[in-house]
Amino acid sequence: MNGRTLHFYLAGINNQNFLMRDKETGTWWQQITGKAIYGPLRGASLELLPSDELSFGEWKSEVSDGRVLAEVPKYKKEYDSNWEPEVAKLPVVISFPGTELKSRDIVVGLEIGGASRAYPWESLAKQSPVMDRVHGTPLLVVVGPDHKSFRVFVSRIGGNDAEFFLKGADTPSSAWSLVDSTTASEWNFQGCAISGPSQGKCLDHVPALKDYWFDWRNYHPDTTIYRR
Amino acid sequence: MSQSRWFSWLVFLGSALAAIGLFFVPALIIRPFSHQAPSALVLAMNLRQRAPWGTLIAAIICMIFAVVLWQGGRPGRKIGIAVVLLLVAFSAVMSRLNYFEWMFHPVDSAKFETEAASKLDAGEMILAVRLGGDARAYPIREMAYHHILNDVVNGTPVAVTY
Repeated sequence: MNGRTLHFYLAGINNQNFLMRDKETGTWWQQITGKAIYGPLRGASLELLPSDELSFGEWKSEVSDGRVLAEVPKYKKEYDSNWEPEVAKLPVVISFPGTELKSRDIVVGLEIGGASRAYPWESLAKQSPVMDRVHGTPLLVVVGPDHKSFRVFVSRIGGNDAEFFLKGADTPSSAWSLVDSTTASEWNFQGCAISGPSQGKCLDHVPALKDYWFDWRNYHPDTTIYRR
Repeated sequence: MSQSRWFSWLVFLGSALAAIGLFFVPALIIRPFSHQAPSALVLAMNLRQRAPWGTLIAAIICMIFAVVLWQGGRPGRKIGIAVVLLLVAFSAVMSRLNYFEWMFHPVDSAKFETEAASKLDAGEMILAVRLGGDARAYPIREMAYHHILNDVVNGTPVAVTY
């Protein structure tokens, strides 16, 4: 923040999205938005660093010299491999009745030019790759060959909108690829063309967040829900 | 009761209430599994921010008047004073401790292993970040416990949260 390095710690909870404070100024920050909501730096925003939520296997296949956060031995027994179903059972403190999703439904949320949209994970898992348009931008929302990782791209090749399809439904996951309708090139899960006329080109990445519906909806009151 | 004794009780109980409130009001508002209304949240952050000093000052005032009231007090009153002092001391100590980190311990110094050395299952989910040639994976199972990690990736300070 303004050339100063801040160190964050867990400081509380706000409707099940946590609050953090920095050691340097004591400012309070909201996790999901990265915004300072109280204290000396109030109004400031942290810069969002692009990140992916991937399976370790997928990441390993893409990265050759990466490093992995090691377990802290003394907290090993605290790491709960079953945390996801357990958290899903916990009560919620805010809900949005009248919306078509349940509070703990998992969505992939994204924002483009002030418009936000949530893609129910269930729909993505069944329909991937999903072609959509948000705020005029053509999008490709795709679940990876591991059925767990996901990415969102701008589905535009050299300025032209393009549609993407899975190459052969019966292709083994090791040969997983997408084909575009405009140039008939083959694309990998990183959004780069690996063969065909577009070879060497890569699609623009769109930041997206996997979240519970109640949390996404709470911070994006005007969000629309993808449905088809 | 003399007027000065009344005054002593007033200050004693007032400062005790301030110290106890400075800890318990925000602790109650930002407790897990409860709804946080926007105005209550602001109040909680405001009090919690002032609590480390506020409770200390209130505790000192409380202590001074406790000594005054102790002399010549009845046994029942003395027990009352002692209980109030304990609560005040508890509030002053807790306002300086981060009990959220007792539930979810932070990582003091993050250690990394090469992807080849990692024993993580292929199906385990990770948060992946890449800056320049520095690619890092943060296993979600670990981050779902620690919640926050302060790290430096390719020279850039980053806060990883889940």
